[in-house]
Amino acid sequence: MPIDFVTYDRPTISARERKVSRFLLFFENIVKVPIFGCQRCGECVLSSTAFICGQQCPKRMRNGPCGGTGEGGTCEVFPDRKCVWYRIYYRSKFLHRLNLLYKLKKIHNWNLEGTSAWLNVFKKRIDPPIGFVRDDSQKIKEIIQSGT
Amino acid sequence: MGLREKLASGTFIVCGEIGPPKSCDGNVIREKSQYFKGVVDAVNITDNQTAIVRLSSIASAKILLDEGVEPIIQMTCRDRNRIAIQSDLLGAAALGLRNVLCLTGDHQKFGDQPEAKGVFDLDSIQLIATVAKMNGGFLLSDQEMKKSPEFLIGAAANPFAEPFEMRLIRLHKKIQAGAHFIQTQPVFDLNRFMIWMEKVVELGLHEKCAILAGVMPVKSEKALLHMKKEVPGVRIDDAYIDRLKNARDPKDEGVKIAVEIIKSLQKIKGVRGIHIMPVMWESITPLLIKESGLIS
Repeated sequence: MPIDFVTYDRPTISARERKVSRFLLFFENIVKVPIFGCQRCGECVLSSTAFICGQQCPKRMRNGPCGGTGEGGTCEVFPDRKCVWYRIYYRSKFLHRLNLLYKLKKIHNWNLEGTSAWLNVFKKRIDPPIGFVRDDSQKIKEIIQSGT
Repeated sequence: MGLREKLASGTFIVCGEIGPPKSCDGNVIREKSQYFKGVVDAVNITDNQTAIVRLSSIASAKILLDEGVEPIIQMTCRDRNRIAIQSDLLGAAALGLRNVLCLTGDHQKFGDQPEAKGVFDLDSIQLIATVAKMNGGFLLSDQEMKKSPEFLIGAAANPFAEPFEMRLIRLHKKIQAGAHFIQTQPVFDLNRFMIWMEKVVELGLHEKCAILAGVMPVKSEKALLHMKKEVPGVRIDDAYIDRLKNARDPKDEGVKIAVEIIKSLQKIKGVRGIHIMPVMWESITPLLIKESGLIS
């Protein structure tokens, strides 16, 4: 059964909202860019990628690494960099949040590019961040057994 | 019997691969198709592999279909956004092409036009889900179609890249998104492949989709060394490099190695078939299949 994959309904972003978004984005950038490597996609999934922004990937993969991660976790496009998904995997493992990587990420809504993710969560355009996760390995087992 | 029926019947599947020419000469495809007629179950047509412009995958596949060989078109996300992808897929379905392999695609940096804009609107998993949705009769916009394309959906898996567990997570996600069969990267490290396959069988993923292992015959030691050094996410057993280095006829030795790998792959539990991908050496495929006893 095909899964619904495009983002949510498509609410229009009003001019006033854009102003609010710009205001919030100022503070959001101060926090998220240096700490998480945020790329301002406006559709934040940081909480399910172990607080490393997956959009730093040159291919902008949202669902995990491409097949080019070399030995030691090098990126195939920029060999002097580490594959961002390699870092996400090991930090997810460390934080016991691996089960979140099993979740299919929706297709990116480019209208949200450069808008405030905080506002988008508040307006219910995107899913809220995931808090503390308990029983990581148990959840993975359930995901595998459910077969979907 | 098409690829879909063969996958359902449980026979051992053999896929070939053709790289289209860097010109508009369709006869190249017609000539190459002769190697595959009656020998393989289906043939992949690459979609601008390594980001170098070639004859389009869908057009080549149509030529192949007319020649009586079942094609598998490849669809990458590097060059098309979601609108172009859906449109091209509808076009392919209208031409009678029924198999599609969904890939993210090589980064444009590897090609001869690295200054190009990479699209990457979707990634491979989202592409699989898109095709699955189209099979269900809907476009991504939720618009209902009068006729659904009914694609057989393929996907790629790389058991040799890091991190190991992430590769299984990706495979799981691809199956969840709707992949029917998986083609792996070429096997040059049987041990690693066997460990991966064991895990796949343990998780029961081999029952949900058919896994076709990649085999690449190589002509020389140089080709292997190049792959080991330059191509990321590839693991090569050093024994093969030594054998090619010491061989009197490296081409012959390359075939022997490929045949050995095919025979070992046949014995591994969960492997439903092989995918032979010689790079610019398509003519070797029939010999390879005959030598490994897959056809009399």
